[in-house]
Amino acid sequence: MKTVECIELTKQYGKTKAINNLSFTLSENKITGLIGRNGAGKTTLLKMIAGYLRHSSGEIQVFGVNPFNSLKVSANTIFIDNGMSFSNMLTLLELLESAKRFYPNWNHDLALKLFDYFSFSPNLSHVNLSKGMKSTFNMIIGLAARCPLTIFDEPTSGMDAGTRKDFYRALLKDYIAEPRTIILSSHLIDEVEDILEEVLLIKNGEKLLHTPVEELKEFAIGIRGKTEALKEWMEKIEPIYIQEIGANISYAVIKNDRSLIELENAKAIGLEVVPVPTEDICTYLTSKTKGGIDHVFS
Amino acid sequence: MYLAEVSSWEIVKKQYRYKLRSYFGVFSSLVVIQILATFFSLNGTGMSGGSSGTFSYNVNYYSGDLILAFVMIWGFITAIIITTKAYRYDDYSFVTNRKISHFSNILFLMSASLFAGITVFLSSHLCRLLAVYVKHVDGIMMNQLTITQILKGVSATVLYIFLFVSIGYFVGMLIQVNRLFSFLIPVGFIGFLIMDGLHNDPTLLQTIALFFGSEALLTLLFVKIITVSALFYVLAILISNRMEVRS
Repeated sequence: MKTVECIELTKQYGKTKAINNLSFTLSENKITGLIGRNGAGKTTLLKMIAGYLRHSSGEIQVFGVNPFNSLKVSANTIFIDNGMSFSNMLTLLELLESAKRFYPNWNHDLALKLFDYFSFSPNLSHVNLSKGMKSTFNMIIGLAARCPLTIFDEPTSGMDAGTRKDFYRALLKDYIAEPRTIILSSHLIDEVEDILEEVLLIKNGEKLLHTPVEELKEFAIGIRGKTEALKEWMEKIEPIYIQEIGANISYAVIKNDRSLIELENAKAIGLEVVPVPTEDICTYLTSKTKGGIDHVFS
Repeated sequence: MYLAEVSSWEIVKKQYRYKLRSYFGVFSSLVVIQILATFFSLNGTGMSGGSSGTFSYNVNYYSGDLILAFVMIWGFITAIIITTKAYRYDDYSFVTNRKISHFSNILFLMSASLFAGITVFLSSHLCRLLAVYVKHVDGIMMNQLTITQILKGVSATVLYIFLFVSIGYFVGMLIQVNRLFSFLIPVGFIGFLIMDGLHNDPTLLQTIALFFGSEALLTLLFVKIITVSALFYVLAILISNRMEVRS
């Protein structure tokens, strides 16, 4: 069953298109990572899925209905970001109890255990929390709500390394206990690649890739060697990324679709074939120009 | 995982319950306003006196009118405040949609008006009591009201407050749609008053005050105020449809 379906989805602010002709479907009970650089349109897309923003054109369906201002979507979706606002008249514990009344699948036991584990004091109010603590508290609500569609928009911002690890572990454990559709947006893929099943990579509001994580890991290879040799070998190949890394030595990243013979040829002329970390693949794919930041200084 | 089916009315009730607690600050500001208004009222709203030979007298009038005026302004401002982003977005941390948000707000504002109306009645009595103790008066005269009269008075007070609350909600929503209104509305209002008074016989406020203020029948007042308030709420809901739900 499809949980989220977008067909040529576009969101326009004035003349700029935050989301441009995006089409994809997310099937039920999968953890999908939404990866993109700052300003790629991740948050805009997630807010449209959560029903907060109206789309400009195209089609978007969540649980088979248009999510904008829909009660069905609101009741079955939880959107966790650091813009979540809670009244400062209620203590943290009272907020958990309020959330319990709203979400039918709410697991209060889990909420209290996590609350205790991260040593929140029950009488504080949400405004008194630090940024990282706010994120952690929001995360507790997101996990305990057990909504069929759970959206985390950069959930770990402000969290320390230990809390991040705990969060991802908690997310995975709770997902196994109670499978549901989870969308996780992040710009740090190496942090989340172990728990993701699928990756949706976007750039400037457009879809670059939507593949299982395993395929993304093997999406590209790196070639390293003398600049001239590399240039010659790469004559007919469009690089994803190319950089001069030393005197007369260059490094290029290309799509992993070369034949074995071609790779043998490369080795024969002194080029080295190396694997590329997933994180780098994402960075190169989503970078603004092929030369990266170096272009600014050259 | 199964999808939860929820009814709008159930969620309205839950949001309303949540709002009674989370908007509690509204009530503390009400208390402060009333204490302030009570002290202002201690000066009396009117005074007359006279003397004859060695004999002189002063009559001071004390009423809760000033308190009511203060609370009406409080209601107006409170309604504007709960249309601001900080309050509107609170709803979206839990289950809601825009209609539910509006209905639970209206229910909350009704309860707040009811509470405010009752406290205005009580504090206007407090004001008279204080006058007796603080002002060293020799004698005090009061209107003796029957229970029905008191109930009628309180209901009318609640209705007047509710009217101001509805106007505030509408004005607040206008400002949320476009910031320009926070400038246009006061300018327009005062401008109209000036235009109206140019020929030395202002009628605008008078007509409005007469329409609502001199209604002798409570039921008719009820119909008038509820109709006008409903109109403001409908307009507020319609214009809010132009906005994104949460950004």
